Amino acid sequence: MSEGTGIGASVKRREDVRFLTGSGTYTDDLNQPGQTYGVFLRSPHARARIGAIDASEALALDGVLAVYTGQDSAADGLGDLPCGWLVKSKDGSDMVSAPRPPLAVTQVNYVGEPYGLVVGETLAAAQQGAELVMTDFTELNPVVDPASAADSETIHEGLDSNVVYDWGLGDEEATDAALAGAAHVTQLDLSNNRLIPNAIEPRAAIGVYEAASGDYTLYATTQNPHLERLVLAAFVQVAPEHKLRVVAPDVGGGFGSKIFIYPEETIVLWAAGKLGRPIKWTAHRYESFLADAHGRDHITHAQLGLDRDGRFVALKVSTTANIGAYLSTFGSSVPTFLYGTLLAGQYKTPNIYVETLGVYTNTCPVDAYRGAGRPEATFVVERMVETAARELGRDPAELRRLNMIQPEDFPYETPVALVYDTGDYEASLDKALELADYGGFEARRRESAAAGKRRGVGFACYIEACGIAPSQLAISLGAGVGLYESGEIRINPTGSVSVFTGAHSHGQGHETTFAQVVSDKLGIPFDDIEIVHGDSGRMEFGLGTYGSRSLAVGGSALIVAADKIIAKGKKIAAHMMETTDDNVDFEDGTFSSGNQQATIQEVAFASYVPADYPEDLEPGLSEKAFYDPKNFTYPAGTHIAEVEVDEETGEVDLVSFVAVDDFGEIINPMIVDGQVHGGLAQGAGQALMEHGRYDDYGQLQTGSYMDYCMPRADDLPDFVVDTTVTACTHNPLGVKGCGEAGAIGSPAAIINAISDALDGHNIAMPATSEQVWRALGGK
Amino acid sequence: MNMTITVNGASHQLDVPDNELLVDLLRERLRLTGTHVGCDTSQCGACTVHLDGRAVKSCSLFAAQADGGSVTTIEGIGTPGDLHPMQRAFRECHGLQCGFCTPGMIMRAIDLVARSDGLDGGAVRDGLEGNLCRCTGYHNIVHAVLKGQELMGGNDE
Amino acid sequence: MDQSGEYRIPAERADVWRALNDPDTLKRCIDGCQSMERRPDGGFAAVVKARVGPVRAVFNAALDLADINPPESYTINVAVKGGPAGFARGSAAVTLAAQGEETMLRYAASANIGGKLAQIGSRLIDGAARKMADDFFKAFHAEMSGRTPNPAPRPQDDGRAAVPINIQVNT
Repeated sequence: MSEGTGIGASVKRREDVRFLTGSGTYTDDLNQPGQTYGVFLRSPHARARIGAIDASEALALDGVLAVYTGQDSAADGLGDLPCGWLVKSKDGSDMVSAPRPPLAVTQVNYVGEPYGLVVGETLAAAQQGAELVMTDFTELNPVVDPASAADSETIHEGLDSNVVYDWGLGDEEATDAALAGAAHVTQLDLSNNRLIPNAIEPRAAIGVYEAASGDYTLYATTQNPHLERLVLAAFVQVAPEHKLRVVAPDVGGGFGSKIFIYPEETIVLWAAGKLGRPIKWTAHRYESFLADAHGRDHITHAQLGLDRDGRFVALKVSTTANIGAYLSTFGSSVPTFLYGTLLAGQYKTPNIYVETLGVYTNTCPVDAYRGAGRPEATFVVERMVETAARELGRDPAELRRLNMIQPEDFPYETPVALVYDTGDYEASLDKALELADYGGFEARRRESAAAGKRRGVGFACYIEACGIAPSQLAISLGAGVGLYESGEIRINPTGSVSVFTGAHSHGQGHETTFAQVVSDKLGIPFDDIEIVHGDSGRMEFGLGTYGSRSLAVGGSALIVAADKIIAKGKKIAAHMMETTDDNVDFEDGTFSSGNQQATIQEVAFASYVPADYPEDLEPGLSEKAFYDPKNFTYPAGTHIAEVEVDEETGEVDLVSFVAVDDFGEIINPMIVDGQVHGGLAQGAGQALMEHGRYDDYGQLQTGSYMDYCMPRADDLPDFVVDTTVTACTHNPLGVKGCGEAGAIGSPAAIINAISDALDGHNIAMPATSEQVWRALGGK
Repeated sequence: MNMTITVNGASHQLDVPDNELLVDLLRERLRLTGTHVGCDTSQCGACTVHLDGRAVKSCSLFAAQADGGSVTTIEGIGTPGDLHPMQRAFRECHGLQCGFCTPGMIMRAIDLVARSDGLDGGAVRDGLEGNLCRCTGYHNIVHAVLKGQELMGGNDE
Repeated sequence: MDQSGEYRIPAERADVWRALNDPDTLKRCIDGCQSMERRPDGGFAAVVKARVGPVRAVFNAALDLADINPPESYTINVAVKGGPAGFARGSAAVTLAAQGEETMLRYAASANIGGKLAQIGSRLIDGAARKMADDFFKAFHAEMSGRTPNPAPRPQDDGRAAVPINIQVNT
């Protein structure tokens, strides 16, 4: 570990002090002058027609200011919430989008869907008012099970079926032929359980409208304030883009769930304009359960063909993806482009075909949640590989090794549209085997057996793709926005630095790591650098933080901006040194030519006080950049889980977990380790306990922390995490991204370990003690 | 009702509705927004404060129940320039990410250490069972509490 | 949710039938019942304050009677609305069998719930429903024994007689 504050140092986080002392400022901590409070009317039914809404009693209540319904917002011309990625079916037709008004107008389609807003002088008044609104619903049959949704009654009026798209990728014919000729074919039915994100800070929004200027301000728990502004301006048309400022103050975790453009902040902002007073809404946790976009929810059948030597010859995957009641902001891309493209994993499987049937159901919309498509892909690939190894009597690590893409194979083009730039998968595997003491496993298994426990070990050699790129390719595949990032570096006249980034930090520590990057690059003291993010009024543009992209894309934008600073600084320095800029070097914050030197701070001062200054050069030392990546980055690694299963109770004890990841170059190892830990816990939660479950009537059965089982401190072991490094070849920092890896590899590793303990039983997630007990023959 | 409550050493005479929760008194009335609300079923622990020296979930108490009592919140245990040993330990060990659960986690941890004769990792995990964190996977929090125990030197706050 | 049960009531079948159709008796026997009115169409409209785990609310219930075969059997169809607390729908088939001076009451009910009740009360609803049924029949038993229900703890003999003979809950 490097010392100091530059790249590679475990610098303690500067954002910590405010969080540790209770001085963080989250959306709900803010109050606005004249603020009122909003409470949403939410559907108690999974599918129903909305009849008369009688708000007279509510409006008569002291302190209730207004009741807005979907009729009101529709009459006011508010647009529908769009899905940002147009996915096409195999036959070339566009996906089928069901209109999603921010407040339901004629029909509600999932429990918790908002159809009205009650505004009160106080929260209590708004809550009491909401209880007095009488709504006539005519219940309709809900469609809940994704497996039969395609053949069920169509839930959206005007659509032909519940099929959103029937998407495919790869060469089906070649894949079928290779399977037919395979020496061995492994088949599995797999499901990827629905998860509910549960950032500990509930979503919140405050809408503000100033009539005199026509300015709107939205304070919201968002991972991407500029995208929020763009959508609210361009699609929903609450306010024009130049009259709308979106601020994301401190945000208490996101994991994807705060990327999306939701009904609530949309309506709070719109209603603030109608009412002429600020309106605050903060979700109760039950609202988070009902109405934060959920994650995963796949049903899959997969076949893996192997030749006589154990080499993979074909993988065919058929998945039904539950889209929920509507297409959420990125809901279409997650089970397609972020999933199917990852099915090569770390292996040289020559033939791959994947098809995804996206279906509407009367459940909460499903969208990106930590990993977004990649955990689902890894689960399929790694369950198949592990099962094949078991069926063939091969060591699961060695079967993987045999099939791994080798360092000399890069750049490696997969049969599912990606080009991996670099990696050394065996290096991660070897390190993980060593850290997990794989050689000692059989002895530990015997020890456990002697104590009446079944022990199992499981692997996941995952790959992911981060920083979706490049924009042109993504847009040609249906993305509605570019996927670049912006950055601006302003060297102030006194030599301190204000850095503006379009990436957003909600726990990732950008205020620290981005300052490390800029400090390292410009040779300016870490403490002189301030990172500003999360405010469309302060930075030019941004696409926010998701998909482990912040450093690879946003950090790279800062490097490009810094290069521009250096280039301009050289011109100024050259003038000071009476030479030409190609004779000026820059290193460690100092411009030099021969024996002449000027610090970057001196050059900055000269740029703002241009007394003796190049004639053709603008004053000031401030540069911005938009960085559009050339390719995805491909973090990869090996995760190894070891479990003990109690035969009597079916309880699974996750006794050890080793994660060795290749994230490319690392800016702050402490923060990277922390990101991995958090991802592993979420992955363990998916594997062992979390399940967003609806009953046959579309009622969410797991709508509180009493029923939705969150991993707690005593459910998890200490994690063993380490890294190997192959630098990303196409971004200036050589970084790949680390935010999601933990959640991507761990479910497969843990389920493989449990399956190992259960003699190969194909246990479903979550592997609760009841499920495991049943698998052991309990009744 | 009229009540007296000492919060972080300052005494307040307040007239509060019977149904006002302690957490709302702290957050809305006194604007001590370091105490957070993460759930509605008293299960996340983000609202943990000390009432008369014991960690309590302030969302599960009425303000009136703290009448005559002394409450310490995250704002009352240390300042940016003079952090409490447990706050220092959380920073040292990277025991926080988004920071939302952190105040409750620290208040719980201080109480846990103060009322034990020496915790090991397992005991810390058991003791934190009532506080949810979604970012850290608890790994660094557990290490932070052990470190905080060391820095607190067995003394309570 | 499905639930069924049997209770022995110390009264003749005709009296039990009458009592089961008398809004005042029903009101007295349902814990938290604020009003119970017979509607012109023969059904009942009730307002009940009830609690299921953390969900506490005033519920408006509409009870419709079907398959009426006095004094032997009927089916009660119930629609309960609790506003923001959620809703429940269900039906119970009730039969009365004369056993000398006494009456054996059997019921088989099924219900489903929605809204907040389902979201945070689903795990508790079975127990709550069983308790409501028990409380009802305990009070009903007392009523039919000619005693006024009393919320205070009562002598042990009452308790024993009111214990259900058999209750099954299937979810």
